[in-house]
Amino acid sequence: MVEPRSAILQGTLDLMVLKTLEQMGPLHGYGIARRIEQVGAQAVIVNQGTIYLCLVRLVQKRWISAKWGTSENNRKAKFYAITKAGRAQLIAETENWERISGVIGRVLQPAFAPATAGKPAFGQATAGKPER
Amino acid sequence: MRALFFTLVARIRDFLHPAAGDADFDQELELHLAMAEEDKLRRGMSPEQARREARLELGGVAQLREAARAARGLPWLETFWLDARLGLRMLRRSWGLTLVGGLAMAVTIGLGASIFTIWDTFAGISLPLDEGDRVVVIQPFDKAAQRVDRATPLPDFRRWRETLTSVEHVSAMRPIVPAVTAPDGADDSVAAAEMTASGFQLARVQPLLGRPLIEDDEREGAEPAAVIGYQLWREGFSSDPAVLGQRIQIGDTPHIVVGVMPAEFRFPVNQRLWIPLRTNPPGGVRPGITDVVVFARLVSGATLESAHAEVTAVGLVPHDAAAGTTAQREPRVVPYAAGIVPSVNRNSWLAGVIFLLGALLLIPPCANIAILVYARTVTRQDEFTLRTALGASRGRIVMQLFVEVLVLAAGAGIAGLLLAREFSGRLTGMVMPTMGPANLPYWMDFKPSLATVLCVAGLSVFAAAIAGAVPAFRVTGRWRRSGFLGVANRNAGARLGTTWTALLATQVALSLAILPSGMEMMWGVFRPTILGPGLPVEEFVTASLVMEGDSSRFDNLRIEAVRRLTSEAGISGVTVSAVSLLEEPFADIDVEGSEAQDAQARFNSIDDKFFDVFGVRFLTGRSFDAGDFGPGRTPVIVNRSFVTEVMGGPPSPRLRRSGLNVLGRRVRYRDRPASPKPATAGEGGYEIVGVVEDLLGSNDGPMMFHPMTEAPHPVSVTIRAPSGIGLAAGRLREVANGLDPQLRVGRLRSLDEMYWQRRSFDHMFGFMLGAVMVIVLLFSMAGIYTLMAFIVAQRWREIGVRSALGAQPRRLLIGIFGRAALPLLIGAMAGCALALRLHSSLPIAEAGGRSIPGIVPASAALMIVVGLLAVAGPARRAIRIDPAEALRVI
Repeated sequence: MVEPRSAILQGTLDLMVLKTLEQMGPLHGYGIARRIEQVGAQAVIVNQGTIYLCLVRLVQKRWISAKWGTSENNRKAKFYAITKAGRAQLIAETENWERISGVIGRVLQPAFAPATAGKPAFGQATAGKPER
Repeated sequence: MRALFFTLVARIRDFLHPAAGDADFDQELELHLAMAEEDKLRRGMSPEQARREARLELGGVAQLREAARAARGLPWLETFWLDARLGLRMLRRSWGLTLVGGLAMAVTIGLGASIFTIWDTFAGISLPLDEGDRVVVIQPFDKAAQRVDRATPLPDFRRWRETLTSVEHVSAMRPIVPAVTAPDGADDSVAAAEMTASGFQLARVQPLLGRPLIEDDEREGAEPAAVIGYQLWREGFSSDPAVLGQRIQIGDTPHIVVGVMPAEFRFPVNQRLWIPLRTNPPGGVRPGITDVVVFARLVSGATLESAHAEVTAVGLVPHDAAAGTTAQREPRVVPYAAGIVPSVNRNSWLAGVIFLLGALLLIPPCANIAILVYARTVTRQDEFTLRTALGASRGRIVMQLFVEVLVLAAGAGIAGLLLAREFSGRLTGMVMPTMGPANLPYWMDFKPSLATVLCVAGLSVFAAAIAGAVPAFRVTGRWRRSGFLGVANRNAGARLGTTWTALLATQVALSLAILPSGMEMMWGVFRPTILGPGLPVEEFVTASLVMEGDSSRFDNLRIEAVRRLTSEAGISGVTVSAVSLLEEPFADIDVEGSEAQDAQARFNSIDDKFFDVFGVRFLTGRSFDAGDFGPGRTPVIVNRSFVTEVMGGPPSPRLRRSGLNVLGRRVRYRDRPASPKPATAGEGGYEIVGVVEDLLGSNDGPMMFHPMTEAPHPVSVTIRAPSGIGLAAGRLREVANGLDPQLRVGRLRSLDEMYWQRRSFDHMFGFMLGAVMVIVLLFSMAGIYTLMAFIVAQRWREIGVRSALGAQPRRLLIGIFGRAALPLLIGAMAGCALALRLHSSLPIAEAGGRSIPGIVPASAALMIVVGLLAVAGPARRAIRIDPAEALRVI
């Protein structure tokens, strides 16, 4: 059975998918996977199939909606779009992420010096060393 | 929270339609692979390489599909369902365990559920009317006797109706059971109420047809009106829509039907017919009506307390000046349902206690089942080792074993619920005859409610936890410690050693200890059924004779009716008693010279022909003579059970010879009974002048018969008609009607029917006792069987080798089954000692049991036979072990 490596990772993937859909508008599964790959986050996910499990979860929570349509290659594809509840969740999750990553960043600095790099932008946080 | 709810909804939807989700997911993955391949081809990869890369990036399709399915549906439910099916299969395979365990759990859960149902029926009852909780009963309370009088004198009602302001629609009713003749219905008695019209206003229930009673109907001289219930309309008028205006004969008076009430309306208690109650008759007194039940509705803003305060201030009319009773009596206001039937508070701790009691009752049978499950689990080690090797956790295996027993417990729970549904009403009816299903108010029934179902579910889970999860934890823990290495080494790590032998011996001993007493109780219960009542009950018919209205002439009419009936052909005797045979009330008594504490006996007042008509034999003393029926005489005749049970006398054959001085001794009532009222005896008590044989064979219980000196009203008439009771019943009605239309015959029943109805309680008790005995025996049998099956399984190689070396099957059996004999013999010896002790200390005869000579050795023999029967199966298996197979494994 394919499972995310940890609960943090699962939450992170949800956050990435929501952000992708918010930025890019409605996308099919492959499109989302490609976008995440482009921002360099493929390193934190074991494989692209995990995204589809994430999509199932988000649809169940009604944070995203799914609708069958036609892809750019004229294929029948399922398109996902972020919902109003999803946007609200994204805002809340982003704030939470920023707060946690800020704290973790400060803790991990050798001298516990106050963070000077500012808040990391989306994508930056996952572009570092993957958790292995 | 919303997301969680939506997820649950989506999961349930996908669980119900799994195929749609699977197809969608497959299609998405296919599309993904196709698009990824195209991308890679564009980047210059070969088709094979592109396909391979795309698949690698996506991950295992089969695993993804599985993970998506788990994310979509309700996987734990599917697992549970799988375990439940496996459990069902295991129950079929271990049918012995299923039978013993299922039966024991069903009986125990049934008992717990019955108690719960009875509590639930009486708990927090309220009237199913609009704002039914605001309907109250106003009733006098006797402070001296600490007793509530349900009925109120009419003057009190009139005063309350005129003065009270905190209640409205102050109403009165009087239950009656008149003979009713409807166009399409036979002449029959119907539960009816004389009720003030205000009762209908209070109820706020609209009639199905016509109108309810109105105040004008109560007016003296108004045309008699009747409102009929749905059932009477259906059966008596064939649901005729034009029923209004038709006539219905109620008693002697034809009434006009003015309305039909809906089926669910049987207010005020359980009535099907309503006629006006005239509470203001000319002169203020209406013959025949003295007391009524008064009820009212609290006005808006009033509370039970404020109404009570007002009613107390108004008080009672001093109606019995001579007795000066008003000083001791005060009116009370209580909720309607509680005023009609005793009720308990729903929120009381009693529910918890009942549940706990049910749970406690479940522990012994469940512990027994747990032992059997433990032994069976030990023998299934190979199966669980394999499952563990395939990745199943300990929790998963424990869960499987728990669910297996839960399936059994659920089945037992359903059976227990059916038992509760069947027996709780009857049980209450037998313990409290006025509260049986037939007499229950219409808003109460003994159907198991949702609360009962939840209680049963709780008990079933509790049973499964004890009988399934506990042994599962123990046995898997043992395996874990021994490292699950026993796949090749059969049954390694598991032992059924000394503890098991001790448990079995204890079980055999306890079973044997209770068997003799139980069997004697059962014999006492079923003996009268097998031998018959000792009286040709089918020749007797009994009925009540009552005077409607003025009852001053009743005594003369009753004597004349008996005279006329006695001269009828086909009637061999007629006797009159205060209450019917088998319905005599109990009283606490003291017997002169007897040490018996808490002695109780039933009593009746009878005429001089009573013993002749029933053909009862006198064991000693004399019957009543003419002088006994005169004033100042206080003789009493008792029965054989009275002498043996209350006075400690010998059984009947030796009574005459025993020299026990019964005659002349005196009996006193601790509280003089109100009905049937025996002659006042003063401090001296009643003198025993004769002893009769029990009327209905055995198990009559102690009885006292007084001469009927104070003419009672109503009376019970019993007719003996050897040629057929049907004709006699008809003649009784004709004679009564011929003498005076106001002389009513009611509750016409054959003694045969009454006798068997009364025995039904004993039968139920007997069957429950029998079920317990059978369960106890089955448990012992199952325990011995399990032990032997385990030994044979554990030592099959050794048996095989010995068999290959030429050992005789007889020697093999002796060698191996010596093991079974040990607990059996130890248990039998200890059981005999216990049984003898228990047998001599239990009051079996007083409880209705009957001695069986040699019951203890017979029970021990039965136990050993049962034990040997249990050994038979594994013994056969041991002899059939193939030596070649045993040698090959070595």
